[in-house]
Amino acid sequence: MTIREAQATAASAVVARRRAGRLHLSDWAVRLGSVALVLGLWEFAGPRLNPLILRPPSAIFRAFFELVGTGELQEAFGQSLREFAAGMAIALVAGILIGVASGRNRFIYNAIDPIVGALYSTPSVALVPLISVAFGRAAMGDEPRIATVALFAIFPILINTQQGVRNVDQSLLEVARAFSSSERRLWTDVILPSATPFVLAGVRLAIGRGLIGMIVAEFLIGLVGLGYLIIAYENVFRIDRMFVPVVVVSAMGILLMSFVQWIEGRVAPWLRREQ
Amino acid sequence: MSVIVRIAVEHATKRYSAGSVTVFEGLELAVRDREAVCILGPSGCGKTTLLRCMHGLVGLDAGRIAIDGSSVTSPRRNVAMVFQHFGLMPWMRVRENVGYGLALAGTPRATLDERVSRYTDMVGLNGFERAYPYQLSGGMQQRVGLARALSMEPEILLMDEPFGSLDAQTREILQDELLHIYQGHPRTMVFITHSIEEAIAIGDRIVVLSARPARVREIMTVDIPRPRTVASVVAHPRFVELRDHCWRLLRERAVA
Ligand SMILES: Nc1ncnc2c1ncn2[C@@H]1O[C@H](COP(=O)(O)OP(=O)(O)OP(=O)(O)O)[C@@H](O)[C@H]1O
Ligand SMILES: [Mg+2]
Repeated sequence: MTIREAQATAASAVVARRRAGRLHLSDWAVRLGSVALVLGLWEFAGPRLNPLILRPPSAIFRAFFELVGTGELQEAFGQSLREFAAGMAIALVAGILIGVASGRNRFIYNAIDPIVGALYSTPSVALVPLISVAFGRAAMGDEPRIATVALFAIFPILINTQQGVRNVDQSLLEVARAFSSSERRLWTDVILPSATPFVLAGVRLAIGRGLIGMIVAEFLIGLVGLGYLIIAYENVFRIDRMFVPVVVVSAMGILLMSFVQWIEGRVAPWLRREQ
Repeated sequence: MSVIVRIAVEHATKRYSAGSVTVFEGLELAVRDREAVCILGPSGCGKTTLLRCMHGLVGLDAGRIAIDGSSVTSPRRNVAMVFQHFGLMPWMRVRENVGYGLALAGTPRATLDERVSRYTDMVGLNGFERAYPYQLSGGMQQRVGLARALSMEPEILLMDEPFGSLDAQTREILQDELLHIYQGHPRTMVFITHSIEEAIAIGDRIVVLSARPARVREIMTVDIPRPRTVASVVAHPRFVELRDHCWRLLRERAVA
Protein backbone atom coordinates (compact mmCIF):
# COMPACT_ATOMS: atom_id res chain seq x y z
CA MET A 1 0.00 0.00 0.00
CA THR A 2 1.45 3.36 -0.99
CA ILE A 3 1.20 6.36 1.30
CA ARG A 4 -1.47 7.87 -0.88
CA GLU A 5 -3.60 4.75 -0.74
CA ALA A 6 -3.19 4.60 3.00
CA GLN A 7 -4.13 8.24 3.24
CA ALA A 8 -7.17 7.73 1.06
CA THR A 9 -8.18 4.77 3.19
CA ALA A 10 -7.89 6.93 6.28
CA ALA A 11 -9.97 9.57 4.56
CA SER A 12 -12.66 7.09 3.61
CA ALA A 13 -12.68 5.88 7.20
CA VAL A 14 -13.27 9.42 8.39
CA VAL A 15 -15.97 9.85 5.78
CA ALA A 16 -17.50 6.55 6.78
CA ARG A 17 -17.42 7.44 10.46
CA ARG A 18 -19.26 10.62 9.67
CA ARG A 19 -21.91 8.55 7.93
CA ALA A 20 -22.36 6.28 10.90
CA GLY A 21 -25.03 8.65 12.19
CA ARG A 22 -25.77 10.88 15.09
CA LEU A 23 -25.06 10.22 18.73
CA HIS A 24 -27.93 9.23 20.97
CA LEU A 25 -28.58 10.55 24.46
CA SER A 26 -27.19 7.33 25.95
CA ASP A 27 -23.98 7.84 23.94
CA TRP A 28 -23.62 11.30 25.42
CA ALA A 29 -24.19 9.98 28.94
CA VAL A 30 -21.33 7.48 28.53
CA ARG A 31 -19.07 10.14 27.05
CA LEU A 32 -19.72 12.67 29.82
CA GLY A 33 -19.45 9.99 32.45
CA SER A 34 -16.07 8.91 31.17
CA VAL A 35 -14.71 12.47 31.17
CA ALA A 36 -16.10 13.10 34.66
CA LEU A 37 -14.50 9.91 35.93
CA VAL A 38 -11.05 10.80 34.57
CA LEU A 39 -11.25 14.36 35.90
CA GLY A 40 -12.47 13.09 39.28
CA LEU A 41 -9.65 10.56 39.58
CA TRP A 42 -7.13 13.19 38.55
CA GLU A 43 -8.53 15.69 41.07
CA PHE A 44 -8.49 13.36 44.07
CA ALA A 45 -5.90 10.67 43.34
CA GLY A 46 -3.43 12.75 41.31
CA PRO A 47 -2.08 14.99 44.08
CA ARG A 48 -1.68 11.90 46.33
CA LEU A 49 0.51 10.20 43.72
CA ASN A 50 2.68 13.20 42.85
CA PRO A 51 1.62 16.55 44.32
CA LEU A 52 4.20 18.48 42.31
CA ILE A 53 3.46 17.21 38.81
CA LEU A 54 -0.12 15.96 38.88
CA ARG A 55 -1.70 19.26 39.80
CA PRO A 56 -5.45 18.79 40.16
CA PRO A 57 -7.91 20.21 37.59
CA SER A 58 -9.16 22.71 40.16
CA ALA A 59 -5.64 24.19 40.46
CA ILE A 60 -5.38 24.44 36.68
CA PHE A 61 -8.77 26.11 36.64
CA ARG A 62 -7.51 28.70 39.15
CA ALA A 63 -4.29 29.17 37.19
CA PHE A 64 -6.39 29.85 34.10
CA PHE A 65 -7.95 32.89 35.75
CA GLU A 66 -4.60 34.05 37.07
CA LEU A 67 -3.16 34.03 33.56
CA VAL A 68 -6.24 35.78 32.20
CA GLY A 69 -5.91 38.33 34.98
CA THR A 70 -2.34 39.26 34.00
CA GLY A 71 -3.34 39.30 30.32
CA GLU A 72 -0.57 36.82 29.48
CA LEU A 73 -2.97 34.16 28.19
CA GLN A 74 -4.87 36.49 25.85
CA GLU A 75 -1.66 37.82 24.39
CA ALA A 76 -0.14 34.38 23.85
CA PHE A 77 -3.40 33.05 22.46
CA GLY A 78 -3.72 35.94 20.01
CA GLN A 79 -0.16 35.39 18.85
CA SER A 80 -0.65 31.66 18.35
CA LEU A 81 -4.01 32.08 16.68
CA ARG A 82 -2.55 34.53 14.15
CA GLU A 83 0.21 32.09 13.21
CA PHE A 84 -2.19 29.18 13.05
CA ALA A 85 -4.82 31.00 10.98
CA ALA A 86 -2.27 32.31 8.48
CA GLY A 87 -0.54 28.93 8.16
CA MET A 88 -3.84 27.07 7.76
CA ALA A 89 -5.04 29.57 5.16
CA ILE A 90 -1.88 28.97 3.10
CA ALA A 91 -2.21 25.20 3.53
CA LEU A 92 -5.88 25.29 2.51
CA VAL A 93 -5.42 27.39 -0.60
CA ALA A 94 -2.19 25.73 -1.76
CA GLY A 95 -3.29 22.22 -0.73
CA ILE A 96 -6.63 22.40 -2.51
CA LEU A 97 -5.20 24.05 -5.64
CA ILE A 98 -2.29 21.62 -5.98
CA GLY A 99 -4.53 18.70 -5.00
CA VAL A 100 -7.13 19.55 -7.63
CA ALA A 101 -4.53 20.20 -10.34
CA SER A 102 -2.60 17.02 -9.64
CA GLY A 103 -5.74 14.96 -9.21
CA ARG A 104 -6.92 15.80 -12.68
CA ASN A 105 -3.70 16.23 -14.64
CA ARG A 106 -1.35 13.30 -15.10
CA PHE A 107 1.65 15.48 -15.89
CA ILE A 108 1.28 17.57 -12.73
CA TYR A 109 0.58 14.44 -10.73
CA ASN A 110 3.80 12.78 -11.88
CA ALA A 111 5.75 15.99 -11.40
CA ILE A 112 4.74 16.57 -7.78
CA ASP A 113 4.06 13.03 -6.56
CA PRO A 114 7.67 12.06 -5.67
CA ILE A 115 8.20 15.38 -3.90
CA VAL A 116 4.96 15.20 -1.97
CA GLY A 117 5.66 11.55 -1.13
CA ALA A 118 9.15 12.34 0.15
CA LEU A 119 8.05 15.35 2.20
CA TYR A 120 5.05 13.55 3.65
CA SER A 121 7.17 10.54 4.62
CA THR A 122 9.66 12.77 6.43
CA PRO A 123 8.54 13.65 9.95
CA SER A 124 7.68 17.32 9.53
CA VAL A 125 9.35 18.16 12.86
CA ALA A 126 12.71 17.29 11.33
CA LEU A 127 12.24 20.08 8.79
CA VAL A 128 11.51 22.83 11.30
CA PRO A 129 15.19 23.77 11.86
CA LEU A 130 15.50 24.04 8.08
CA ILE A 131 12.62 26.52 7.98
CA SER A 132 14.22 28.45 10.80
CA VAL A 133 17.51 28.69 8.91
CA ALA A 134 15.82 29.40 5.60
CA PHE A 135 14.08 32.46 7.02
CA GLY A 136 17.26 33.54 8.78
CA ARG A 137 17.81 33.32 12.47
CA ALA A 138 17.57 37.08 12.67
CA ALA A 139 14.00 37.10 11.33
CA MET A 140 11.84 38.15 14.23
CA GLY A 141 8.51 38.08 12.41
CA ASP A 142 5.91 35.34 12.43
CA GLU A 143 6.83 34.12 8.94
CA PRO A 144 8.89 31.06 9.87
CA ARG A 145 6.22 29.89 12.33
CA ILE A 146 3.44 30.46 9.79
CA ALA A 147 5.49 28.45 7.28
CA THR A 148 5.82 25.65 9.84
CA VAL A 149 2.07 25.48 10.42
CA ALA A 150 1.54 25.43 6.64
CA LEU A 151 4.12 22.66 6.20
CA PHE A 152 2.48 20.50 8.86
CA ALA A 153 -1.06 21.12 7.59
CA ILE A 154 -0.71 21.05 3.82
CA PHE A 155 -0.17 17.35 3.13
CA PRO A 156 -3.40 15.83 4.43
CA ILE A 157 -5.33 18.53 2.56
CA LEU A 158 -3.35 18.14 -0.65
CA ILE A 159 -3.37 14.36 -0.69
CA ASN A 160 -7.04 14.05 0.26
CA THR A 161 -8.10 16.59 -2.33
CA GLN A 162 -6.04 14.76 -4.94
CA GLN A 163 -7.55 11.41 -4.02
CA GLY A 164 -11.04 12.89 -3.87
CA VAL A 165 -10.64 14.24 -7.39
CA ARG A 166 -9.05 11.04 -8.67
CA ASN A 167 -11.65 8.80 -7.08
CA VAL A 168 -14.62 10.41 -8.78
CA ASP A 169 -17.05 7.69 -9.76
CA GLN A 170 -16.25 6.97 -13.41
CA SER A 171 -19.86 6.05 -14.09
CA LEU A 172 -20.98 9.53 -12.98
CA LEU A 173 -18.43 11.11 -15.30
CA GLU A 174 -19.99 9.06 -18.07
CA VAL A 175 -23.47 10.25 -17.09
CA ALA A 176 -22.20 13.82 -17.36
CA ARG A 177 -20.80 13.12 -20.81
CA ALA A 178 -23.99 11.37 -21.86
CA PHE A 179 -25.86 14.59 -21.09
CA SER A 180 -23.26 16.67 -22.96
CA SER A 181 -21.79 18.41 -19.92
CA SER A 182 -19.22 21.12 -20.54
CA GLU A 183 -15.85 20.77 -18.82
CA ARG A 184 -16.72 23.59 -16.42
CA ARG A 185 -20.04 22.03 -15.44
CA LEU A 186 -18.29 18.69 -15.03
CA TRP A 187 -16.26 20.31 -12.26
CA THR A 188 -19.11 22.05 -10.48
CA ASP A 189 -21.67 19.25 -10.89
CA VAL A 190 -19.57 16.14 -10.43
CA ILE A 191 -15.90 16.41 -9.51
CA LEU A 192 -15.96 19.05 -6.76
CA PRO A 193 -19.06 17.77 -4.93
CA SER A 194 -17.70 14.26 -4.99
CA ALA A 195 -14.30 15.41 -3.68
CA THR A 196 -15.76 17.63 -0.93
CA PRO A 197 -16.02 14.98 1.82
CA PHE A 198 -12.44 13.93 1.13
CA VAL A 199 -11.22 17.52 1.27
CA LEU A 200 -13.01 18.13 4.57
CA ALA A 201 -11.66 14.90 6.04
CA GLY A 202 -8.23 16.17 5.03
CA VAL A 203 -8.90 19.52 6.69
CA ARG A 204 -9.83 17.76 9.93
CA LEU A 205 -6.54 15.85 9.89
CA ALA A 206 -4.72 19.07 8.97
CA ILE A 207 -6.09 20.91 12.02
CA GLY A 208 -4.44 18.41 14.35
CA ARG A 209 -1.16 18.54 12.47
CA GLY A 210 -1.28 22.33 12.15
CA LEU A 211 -1.63 22.72 15.92
CA ILE A 212 1.39 20.46 16.42
CA GLY A 213 3.27 22.62 13.92
CA MET A 214 2.24 25.76 15.77
CA ILE A 215 3.49 24.53 19.17
CA VAL A 216 6.68 23.01 17.75
CA ALA A 217 7.49 26.26 15.93
CA GLU A 218 6.92 28.21 19.12
CA PHE A 219 9.26 25.84 20.99
CA LEU A 220 11.96 25.92 18.35
CA ILE A 221 11.68 29.27 16.60
CA GLY A 222 11.60 32.35 18.76
CA LEU A 223 9.68 31.30 21.89
CA VAL A 224 6.36 33.13 21.61
CA GLY A 225 2.67 32.39 22.04
CA LEU A 226 1.15 29.43 23.84
CA GLY A 227 4.27 27.34 23.19
CA TYR A 228 6.33 29.89 25.03
CA LEU A 229 3.92 29.87 28.00
CA ILE A 230 4.28 26.10 28.27
CA ILE A 231 8.10 26.28 28.31
CA ALA A 232 8.21 29.33 30.58
CA TYR A 233 6.03 27.79 33.32
CA GLU A 234 7.71 24.43 32.96
CA ASN A 235 11.05 26.14 33.66
CA VAL A 236 9.74 27.62 36.90
CA PHE A 237 7.90 24.41 37.74
CA ARG A 238 4.43 26.00 37.81
CA ILE A 239 2.83 22.88 36.41
CA ASP A 240 -0.68 24.21 37.07
CA ARG A 241 0.04 27.23 34.89
CA MET A 242 1.89 25.10 32.35
CA PHE A 243 -1.27 23.09 31.82
CA VAL A 244 -3.37 26.15 30.96
CA PRO A 245 -1.97 26.72 27.41
CA VAL A 246 -2.02 22.95 26.88
CA VAL A 247 -5.74 22.87 27.63
CA VAL A 248 -6.28 25.93 25.42
CA VAL A 249 -4.56 24.23 22.46
CA SER A 250 -6.58 21.11 22.98
CA ALA A 251 -9.80 23.17 23.14
CA MET A 252 -8.77 24.87 19.89
CA GLY A 253 -8.43 21.48 18.24
CA ILE A 254 -11.78 20.21 19.49
CA LEU A 255 -13.62 23.39 18.53
CA LEU A 256 -12.08 23.65 15.08
CA MET A 257 -12.73 20.02 14.27
CA SER A 258 -16.37 20.29 15.36
CA PHE A 259 -16.61 23.42 13.24
CA VAL A 260 -15.37 21.53 10.17
CA GLN A 261 -17.81 18.75 10.96
CA TRP A 262 -20.60 21.30 11.12
CA ILE A 263 -19.51 22.76 7.78
CA GLU A 264 -19.55 19.26 6.34
CA GLY A 265 -23.15 18.82 7.42
CA ARG A 266 -23.92 22.12 5.69
CA VAL A 267 -22.11 21.60 2.39
CA ALA A 268 -22.51 17.82 2.15
CA PRO A 269 -25.99 17.08 3.50
CA TRP A 270 -26.21 13.99 1.29
CA LEU A 271 -23.80 12.31 3.71
CA ARG A 272 -26.28 12.74 6.57
CA ARG A 273 -27.29 9.12 6.34
CA GLU A 274 -29.70 8.00 9.00
CA GLN A 275 -29.17 4.68 10.69
CA MET B 1 -44.20 0.69 -47.08
CA SER B 2 -41.12 2.75 -46.56
CA VAL B 3 -39.50 2.62 -43.16
CA ILE B 4 -37.40 5.42 -41.71
CA VAL B 5 -34.23 4.10 -40.10
CA ARG B 6 -33.19 6.23 -37.12
CA ILE B 7 -30.19 4.24 -35.91
CA ALA B 8 -28.05 2.34 -38.38
CA VAL B 9 -25.27 0.08 -37.12
CA GLU B 10 -23.12 -0.70 -40.12
CA HIS B 11 -20.42 -3.31 -39.93
CA ALA B 12 -19.48 -2.04 -36.48
CA THR B 13 -16.43 -3.47 -34.76
CA LYS B 14 -15.28 -2.75 -31.24
CA ARG B 15 -12.20 -4.10 -29.51
CA TYR B 16 -10.76 -3.59 -26.04
CA SER B 17 -7.43 -4.25 -24.36
CA ALA B 18 -5.30 -3.10 -27.28
CA GLY B 19 -7.31 -5.22 -29.70
CA SER B 20 -7.02 -8.52 -27.84
CA VAL B 21 -10.69 -8.56 -26.80
CA THR B 22 -13.20 -8.31 -29.62
CA VAL B 23 -16.54 -7.22 -28.21
CA PHE B 24 -18.34 -7.29 -31.54
CA GLU B 25 -17.25 -7.48 -35.13
CA GLY B 26 -19.09 -6.56 -38.31
CA LEU B 27 -22.34 -5.97 -36.43
CA GLU B 28 -25.34 -4.91 -38.54
CA LEU B 29 -28.55 -3.50 -37.10
CA ALA B 30 -31.19 -0.98 -38.03
CA VAL B 31 -33.59 0.63 -35.58
CA ARG B 32 -36.66 2.15 -37.17
CA ASP B 33 -38.47 5.31 -36.25
CA ARG B 34 -40.64 5.03 -33.13
CA GLU B 35 -39.90 1.38 -32.75
CA ALA B 36 -38.96 -0.31 -29.48
CA VAL B 37 -36.08 -2.68 -30.08
CA CYS B 38 -35.01 -4.95 -27.25
CA ILE B 39 -31.51 -6.32 -27.33
CA LEU B 40 -31.20 -9.65 -25.60
CA GLY B 41 -27.91 -11.34 -24.99
CA PRO B 42 -25.88 -13.29 -22.49
CA SER B 43 -24.00 -11.50 -19.74
CA GLY B 44 -20.80 -9.83 -20.90
CA CYS B 45 -21.56 -10.18 -24.61
CA GLY B 46 -21.19 -6.45 -25.24
CA LYS B 47 -24.69 -5.00 -24.90
CA THR B 48 -23.60 -2.04 -22.79
CA THR B 49 -20.68 -1.42 -25.11
CA LEU B 50 -23.00 -1.38 -28.12
CA LEU B 51 -25.30 1.13 -26.43
CA ARG B 52 -22.36 3.35 -25.43
CA CYS B 53 -21.19 3.29 -29.05
CA MET B 54 -24.70 4.23 -30.22
CA HIS B 55 -24.57 7.27 -27.93
CA GLY B 56 -21.04 8.25 -28.96
CA LEU B 57 -19.60 7.70 -25.48
CA VAL B 58 -16.95 5.39 -26.93
CA GLY B 59 -15.75 5.10 -30.49
CA LEU B 60 -15.75 2.11 -32.83
CA ASP B 61 -12.66 0.44 -34.22
CA ALA B 62 -14.26 -0.12 -37.62
CA GLY B 63 -17.59 0.42 -39.33
CA ARG B 64 -19.97 3.13 -38.25
CA ILE B 65 -23.11 3.91 -36.33
CA ALA B 66 -25.30 6.61 -37.78
CA ILE B 67 -28.27 8.39 -36.25
CA ASP B 68 -30.56 10.06 -38.78
CA GLY B 69 -27.92 9.48 -41.42
CA SER B 70 -24.93 11.13 -39.77
CA SER B 71 -22.17 9.26 -37.97
CA VAL B 72 -22.30 9.39 -34.19
CA THR B 73 -19.17 10.95 -32.73
CA SER B 74 -20.44 12.34 -29.42
CA PRO B 75 -23.69 12.35 -27.41
CA ARG B 76 -26.54 14.32 -28.93
CA ARG B 77 -29.25 16.23 -27.13
CA ASN B 78 -32.12 14.44 -28.91
CA VAL B 79 -30.85 11.12 -27.57
CA ALA B 80 -31.12 10.30 -23.87
CA MET B 81 -29.79 7.40 -21.89
CA VAL B 82 -31.02 5.50 -18.83
CA PHE B 83 -28.30 3.63 -16.97
CA GLN B 84 -28.23 0.21 -15.39
CA HIS B 85 -26.55 1.70 -12.31
CA PHE B 86 -29.07 4.64 -12.25
CA GLY B 87 -26.22 7.19 -12.40
CA LEU B 88 -27.83 9.73 -10.09
CA MET B 89 -25.70 12.47 -8.55
CA PRO B 90 -25.73 11.70 -4.80
CA TRP B 91 -25.39 15.41 -3.95
CA MET B 92 -28.38 16.50 -6.00
CA ARG B 93 -31.97 16.34 -4.85
CA VAL B 94 -34.56 14.58 -7.00
CA ARG B 95 -35.52 17.87 -8.67
CA GLU B 96 -31.95 18.71 -9.62
CA ASN B 97 -31.27 15.18 -10.81
CA VAL B 98 -34.36 15.20 -12.99
CA GLY B 99 -33.45 18.63 -14.37
CA TYR B 100 -29.76 17.80 -14.80
CA GLY B 101 -29.81 17.28 -18.57
CA LEU B 102 -32.10 20.25 -19.10
CA ALA B 103 -29.85 22.52 -17.05
CA LEU B 104 -26.82 21.41 -19.08
CA ALA B 105 -28.76 22.16 -22.26
CA GLY B 106 -29.25 25.73 -21.04
CA THR B 107 -33.02 25.39 -20.79
CA PRO B 108 -34.71 28.60 -19.55
CA ARG B 109 -35.72 28.50 -15.89
CA ALA B 110 -39.48 28.48 -16.45
CA THR B 111 -39.39 25.70 -19.03
CA LEU B 112 -37.04 23.70 -16.85
CA ASP B 113 -39.28 23.98 -13.79
CA GLU B 114 -42.35 23.07 -15.76
CA ARG B 115 -40.74 20.02 -17.37
CA VAL B 116 -39.16 18.81 -14.16
CA SER B 117 -42.54 18.94 -12.44
CA ARG B 118 -44.28 17.24 -15.33
CA TYR B 119 -41.85 14.32 -15.59
CA THR B 120 -41.42 13.96 -11.85
CA ASP B 121 -45.19 13.51 -11.71
CA MET B 122 -45.19 11.21 -14.71
CA VAL B 123 -42.88 8.72 -13.00
CA GLY B 124 -44.88 9.00 -9.76
CA LEU B 125 -42.32 10.86 -7.68
CA ASN B 126 -44.39 13.87 -6.63
CA GLY B 127 -43.71 14.59 -2.99
CA PHE B 128 -40.10 13.41 -3.28
CA GLU B 129 -38.71 16.43 -5.15
CA ARG B 130 -36.52 17.46 -2.22
CA ALA B 131 -35.23 14.00 -1.35
CA TYR B 132 -31.66 12.90 -1.94
CA PRO B 133 -31.06 9.66 -3.86
CA TYR B 134 -29.91 7.83 -0.72
CA GLN B 135 -33.34 8.40 0.77
CA LEU B 136 -35.01 6.54 -2.12
CA SER B 137 -35.45 2.85 -2.85
CA GLY B 138 -33.82 1.37 -5.94
CA GLY B 139 -37.07 1.49 -7.86
CA MET B 140 -37.57 5.15 -7.02
CA GLN B 141 -33.99 5.95 -7.96
CA GLN B 142 -34.53 4.47 -11.39
CA ARG B 143 -37.75 6.48 -11.71
CA VAL B 144 -35.53 9.53 -11.27
CA GLY B 145 -33.17 8.18 -13.95
CA LEU B 146 -36.13 7.67 -16.25
CA ALA B 147 -37.57 11.13 -15.57
CA ARG B 148 -34.15 12.69 -16.20
CA ALA B 149 -34.03 11.07 -19.64
CA LEU B 150 -37.70 11.76 -20.48
CA SER B 151 -37.48 15.40 -19.43
CA MET B 152 -35.09 15.94 -22.35
CA GLU B 153 -38.06 14.96 -24.53
CA PRO B 154 -35.66 12.91 -26.59
CA GLU B 155 -36.53 11.43 -29.95
CA ILE B 156 -34.39 8.42 -29.12
CA LEU B 157 -34.24 6.67 -25.76
CA LEU B 158 -31.35 4.32 -24.98
CA MET B 159 -31.94 2.10 -21.98
CA ASP B 160 -29.26 -0.18 -20.56
CA GLU B 161 -30.91 -2.87 -18.43
CA PRO B 162 -32.73 -0.11 -16.55
CA PHE B 163 -34.64 -2.54 -14.33
CA GLY B 164 -31.93 -5.18 -14.10
CA SER B 165 -31.03 -4.53 -10.47
CA LEU B 166 -34.57 -4.23 -9.14
CA ASP B 167 -36.60 -6.89 -7.37
CA ALA B 168 -39.17 -8.78 -9.43
CA GLN B 169 -42.18 -6.87 -8.16
CA THR B 170 -40.74 -3.38 -8.56
CA ARG B 171 -39.46 -4.44 -11.92
CA GLU B 172 -42.91 -5.41 -13.17
CA ILE B 173 -44.44 -2.16 -11.93
CA LEU B 174 -41.80 -0.14 -13.75
CA GLN B 175 -42.17 -2.21 -16.90
CA ASP B 176 -45.86 -1.42 -16.91
CA GLU B 177 -45.20 2.27 -16.37
CA LEU B 178 -42.64 2.34 -19.16
CA LEU B 179 -45.12 0.59 -21.46
CA HIS B 180 -47.73 3.16 -20.52
CA ILE B 181 -45.36 6.07 -21.18
CA TYR B 182 -44.10 4.58 -24.44
CA GLN B 183 -47.54 3.73 -25.75
CA GLY B 184 -48.81 7.20 -24.89
CA HIS B 185 -45.97 8.71 -26.90
CA PRO B 186 -44.09 6.18 -29.04
CA ARG B 187 -40.50 7.10 -29.75
CA THR B 188 -37.45 5.28 -30.96
CA MET B 189 -36.18 3.13 -28.14
CA VAL B 190 -33.33 0.67 -27.71
CA PHE B 191 -33.84 -1.36 -24.59
CA ILE B 192 -31.18 -3.74 -23.35
CA THR B 193 -32.08 -6.62 -21.11
CA HIS B 194 -31.17 -10.15 -20.37
CA SER B 195 -34.68 -11.04 -19.31
CA ILE B 196 -36.58 -12.80 -22.08
CA GLU B 197 -39.96 -11.90 -20.57
CA GLU B 198 -39.02 -8.25 -20.36
CA ALA B 199 -37.84 -8.21 -23.98
CA ILE B 200 -41.15 -9.68 -25.16
CA ALA B 201 -43.23 -7.32 -23.03
CA ILE B 202 -41.46 -4.15 -24.14
CA GLY B 203 -40.17 -4.76 -27.65
CA ASP B 204 -41.68 -4.46 -31.09
CA ARG B 205 -38.69 -6.48 -32.18
CA ILE B 206 -36.13 -8.49 -30.28
CA VAL B 207 -32.50 -8.71 -31.37
CA VAL B 208 -30.85 -11.79 -29.92
CA LEU B 209 -27.08 -11.50 -29.68
CA SER B 210 -24.60 -14.33 -29.37
CA ALA B 211 -21.84 -14.53 -26.81
CA ARG B 212 -18.70 -12.45 -27.38
CA PRO B 213 -17.79 -11.53 -30.03
CA ALA B 214 -21.45 -10.55 -30.33
CA ARG B 215 -23.24 -11.28 -33.58
CA VAL B 216 -26.91 -10.90 -34.34
CA ARG B 217 -28.30 -14.41 -34.00
CA GLU B 218 -31.82 -13.58 -34.92
CA ILE B 219 -34.25 -10.70 -35.06
CA MET B 220 -37.78 -11.53 -33.98
CA THR B 221 -40.94 -9.53 -34.39
CA VAL B 222 -43.14 -9.51 -31.32
CA ASP B 223 -46.60 -9.82 -32.85
CA ILE B 224 -48.50 -9.01 -29.69
CA PRO B 225 -50.73 -5.97 -30.18
CA ARG B 226 -50.41 -2.73 -28.21
CA PRO B 227 -51.48 -1.29 -25.88
CA ARG B 228 -49.87 -3.94 -23.75
CA THR B 229 -49.32 -4.50 -20.08
CA VAL B 230 -46.99 -7.10 -18.63
CA ALA B 231 -50.01 -9.15 -17.56
CA SER B 232 -51.66 -8.97 -20.98
CA VAL B 233 -48.43 -9.98 -22.70
CA VAL B 234 -47.85 -12.94 -20.42
CA ALA B 235 -51.43 -14.08 -20.98
CA HIS B 236 -51.15 -13.79 -24.76
CA PRO B 237 -50.92 -17.14 -26.63
CA ARG B 238 -47.85 -15.97 -28.58
CA PHE B 239 -45.91 -15.26 -25.39
CA VAL B 240 -44.97 -18.84 -24.62
CA GLU B 241 -43.89 -19.54 -28.20
CA LEU B 242 -41.74 -16.44 -28.35
CA ARG B 243 -40.24 -17.15 -24.96
CA ASP B 244 -39.38 -20.73 -25.86
CA HIS B 245 -37.86 -19.59 -29.11
CA CYS B 246 -35.65 -17.01 -27.39
CA TRP B 247 -34.77 -19.53 -24.76
CA ARG B 248 -33.64 -22.01 -27.41
CA LEU B 249 -31.55 -19.38 -29.20
CA LEU B 250 -29.76 -18.40 -26.02
CA ARG B 251 -29.30 -22.05 -25.04
CA GLU B 252 -27.99 -23.26 -28.41
CA ARG B 253 -25.17 -20.80 -28.15
CA ALA B 254 -24.16 -22.19 -24.79
CA VAL B 255 -24.03 -25.74 -26.15
CA ALA B 256 -22.49 -24.94 -29.54
N1 LIG C 1 -13.70 -0.02 -20.77
C1 LIG C 1 -13.43 -1.31 -21.03
N2 LIG C 1 -12.15 -1.73 -21.15
C2 LIG C 1 -11.86 -3.02 -21.41
N3 LIG C 1 -12.78 -3.97 -21.58
C3 LIG C 1 -14.07 -3.63 -21.48
C4 LIG C 1 -14.48 -2.28 -21.21
N4 LIG C 1 -15.83 -2.22 -21.17
C5 LIG C 1 -16.24 -3.49 -21.41
N5 LIG C 1 -15.21 -4.31 -21.59
C6 LIG C 1 -15.30 -5.75 -21.92
O1 LIG C 1 -16.16 -5.89 -23.02
C7 LIG C 1 -17.02 -7.00 -22.85
C8 LIG C 1 -18.46 -6.57 -22.97
O2 LIG C 1 -18.81 -5.74 -21.88
P1 LIG C 1 -20.26 -5.09 -21.74
O3 LIG C 1 -20.29 -4.36 -20.45
O4 LIG C 1 -20.56 -4.34 -22.97
O5 LIG C 1 -21.17 -6.39 -21.67
P2 LIG C 1 -22.72 -6.51 -21.31
O6 LIG C 1 -23.32 -7.37 -22.34
O7 LIG C 1 -23.32 -5.17 -21.12
O8 LIG C 1 -22.67 -7.30 -19.96
P3 LIG C 1 -23.75 -7.32 -18.77
O9 LIG C 1 -24.84 -8.22 -19.21
O10 LIG C 1 -22.97 -7.93 -17.64
O11 LIG C 1 -24.19 -5.93 -18.51
C9 LIG C 1 -16.70 -7.60 -21.49
O12 LIG C 1 -15.87 -8.72 -21.70
C10 LIG C 1 -15.93 -6.53 -20.80
O13 LIG C 1 -14.97 -7.09 -19.95
MG1 LIG D 1 -24.21 -4.18 -19.42
